[in-house]
Amino acid sequence: MKLFSKYILLVAALFAVTATFGQSVHDLRLNEMMIENEENYADEYGRHVPWVEIFNTAYNTVNITGCFLTDDTTGLAAAGKKGGKIPAHWYRIPTDQKMFMPQRSFLIFFLDDSPLYGPYHTNFNPAKSKTHYIALISSDAKELLDMVEYPVELRDTCRSYGYVQDGVRDPKAFKAGKRQAGELAYLDDFTPASSNETAPKISKQDKLKQDDPYGIGMALISMAVVFTALIMIYIMLKIFNYVTRRATQKSKAQAEPQKVAAVANKDDDDVDAVNAEVVAAIGVAMHLHFGSMHDEESEVITINMPSKHYSPWAQKELTMKRNPRR
Amino acid sequence: MLEFFKEGLLQFLSYSGFGNCTWGHIIMICIGLIFIALGIIKEFEPLLLVPIGFGIIIGNIPFTDGLQVGVYESGSVLNYLYFGVVKGFYPPLIFLGIGAMTDFSALISNPKLILIGAAAQFGIFAAYITALLLGFTPMEAGAIGIIGGADGPTAIFISSKLAPSMMGAIAVSAYSYMALVPVIQPPIMRLLTTPQERVIRMRPPRAVSHREKVLFPMLCILLTAFLVPTGLPLLGMLFFGNLLKESGVTKRLANTASGPIVDIVTILIGLTVGASTQATNFLRPASVLIFVLGAFSFVIATASGVLFVKFFNLFLKEGNKINPLIGNAGVSAVPDAARVSLVEGQKYDRTNFLLMHAMGPNVAGVIGSAVAAGILLSFLY
Repeated sequence: MKLFSKYILLVAALFAVTATFGQSVHDLRLNEMMIENEENYADEYGRHVPWVEIFNTAYNTVNITGCFLTDDTTGLAAAGKKGGKIPAHWYRIPTDQKMFMPQRSFLIFFLDDSPLYGPYHTNFNPAKSKTHYIALISSDAKELLDMVEYPVELRDTCRSYGYVQDGVRDPKAFKAGKRQAGELAYLDDFTPASSNETAPKISKQDKLKQDDPYGIGMALISMAVVFTALIMIYIMLKIFNYVTRRATQKSKAQAEPQKVAAVANKDDDDVDAVNAEVVAAIGVAMHLHFGSMHDEESEVITINMPSKHYSPWAQKELTMKRNPRR
Repeated sequence: MLEFFKEGLLQFLSYSGFGNCTWGHIIMICIGLIFIALGIIKEFEPLLLVPIGFGIIIGNIPFTDGLQVGVYESGSVLNYLYFGVVKGFYPPLIFLGIGAMTDFSALISNPKLILIGAAAQFGIFAAYITALLLGFTPMEAGAIGIIGGADGPTAIFISSKLAPSMMGAIAVSAYSYMALVPVIQPPIMRLLTTPQERVIRMRPPRAVSHREKVLFPMLCILLTAFLVPTGLPLLGMLFFGNLLKESGVTKRLANTASGPIVDIVTILIGLTVGASTQATNFLRPASVLIFVLGAFSFVIATASGVLFVKFFNLFLKEGNKINPLIGNAGVSAVPDAARVSLVEGQKYDRTNFLLMHAMGPNVAGVIGSAVAAGILLSFLY
């Protein structure tokens, strides 16, 4: 049982770990924002209001329901505690709207202080704010997922500000509350709901050729993945083996209680193998027996030439309609 | 009147195959005839070589463009049939049939054999590296490398996505080497093994219960597809077909999948892949390189499987050791590679039957090559 539990736990842990890595709000970034929106991107009512773009940097879907957007993180420490109160000036992405961001996708929120206009309209407006940053906070109110501090002049400039390379930030610097130089900047073009990188993009193939010119890296990773997949199946089959062995032992013990001790000492694989060999021998013997038997032949053996050459066109059986098979 | 007759005749001739024939067409038609001869006389994979060979002949009958007859001409009948190759929906249907025909018992009873199927996939990536060094683009290199998986449908599936212009050469190369498994593999196996290793007797596999056989495809699809979702079309169909076979309650569906469906798709895929090898597209130096790299990939895959078994044996107790002659079966040419193991094994010990042992790595190779295909797609597509 110990071994069995070990394998089960291993498989469960593997799934849990991959699932945890797979879907995470930590992959979200406040990719681009615009405050002085004179005549650019309009909301569904045709209004030109400040907006912020969230980017899912991951290669899987992320659920952003319940996360918070704010221009004032005051109360973050308290809100995250058990029973902590969520500050009223935080905008909670509605929990009744299931918002899933597909891999590498963008989502726009209008920072217009008009939450009644719909789920994509927040309850604050950075143009009126005392601070000059926008923050994204996790749904449990414990973690700051991303925070973009913008220059105060952005309020009077009709330009967008954000990550130069989509969502690329230095994790160590961010944890320390700092930013790498050049990570955030005024963007040449405003690109709501699309990539900030407007320069001609290097293709996936060219990038691979650049990063891994001899293909050794890819070969190693690929072989590791192939082995991982098949090792997972190997572990599963080992569990099968264990369970089958246990079940066989149990049924034998129930059927022949007096022979339990003898059976326990014998390797079950050998027992199965003998059984399989016996079955195979019986099968071969029966095949040989039936193979050597002949039906009674109705043909006449003769040395004379047949009067008519055989032709399927003349075969009566083929001209008759067959009964349908069920 | 005579002038009109002469002109009409010349015009007709210009439309006929004779008027458009080139040396390339004749060479390709000869290749097609060789394929058919190999299939019928030598019985090397006749189910594949005969349709492909005939397809090569069809594809290389010269004609003038615009008549909507060629495989690459939009609206032609052959073009419609070729659609299943271009869009990659024939290979998963073949995998459905393979799943419905495959018995995974050998693998379930001796799980460690699955690792041989993983090791043999190294051929794919060795050929990928070599193709890159020879100047192919990463996508082309990936499509060429998959020949080493010894899996025709997978090769077509991958090349249709990564390098459609090379698909004809890659598919013909993959199927040719699959047909030549009994010729290519034995020398490598003999070269890499000692006489003592060739006579290793393996423990007979245990009996596998019905429940295990039913659970196997369901758990396998969960484990592999979660890891490599890009392999889902192949893996999903493979395990679905196997579930139909093993469930015991869908016999009719399993029979259809393993019979009529796989037969129809084999005819269509063989014929259209053969027809796609038009001389103008096929007879290029790159095609020769693809054939050479395909052979290299196949050799490395076989050698990797054999060498991995030898390495694995270092950690196994006496009595539990694996005969390295089943290492070649790690490629997914089912069941030819396993049959080669049996034949080679019996040359050194007539009472040593390796077939069922070799079926373990052989079916693991099918899973392994589908996983490898998924990885190539996720990296390159």
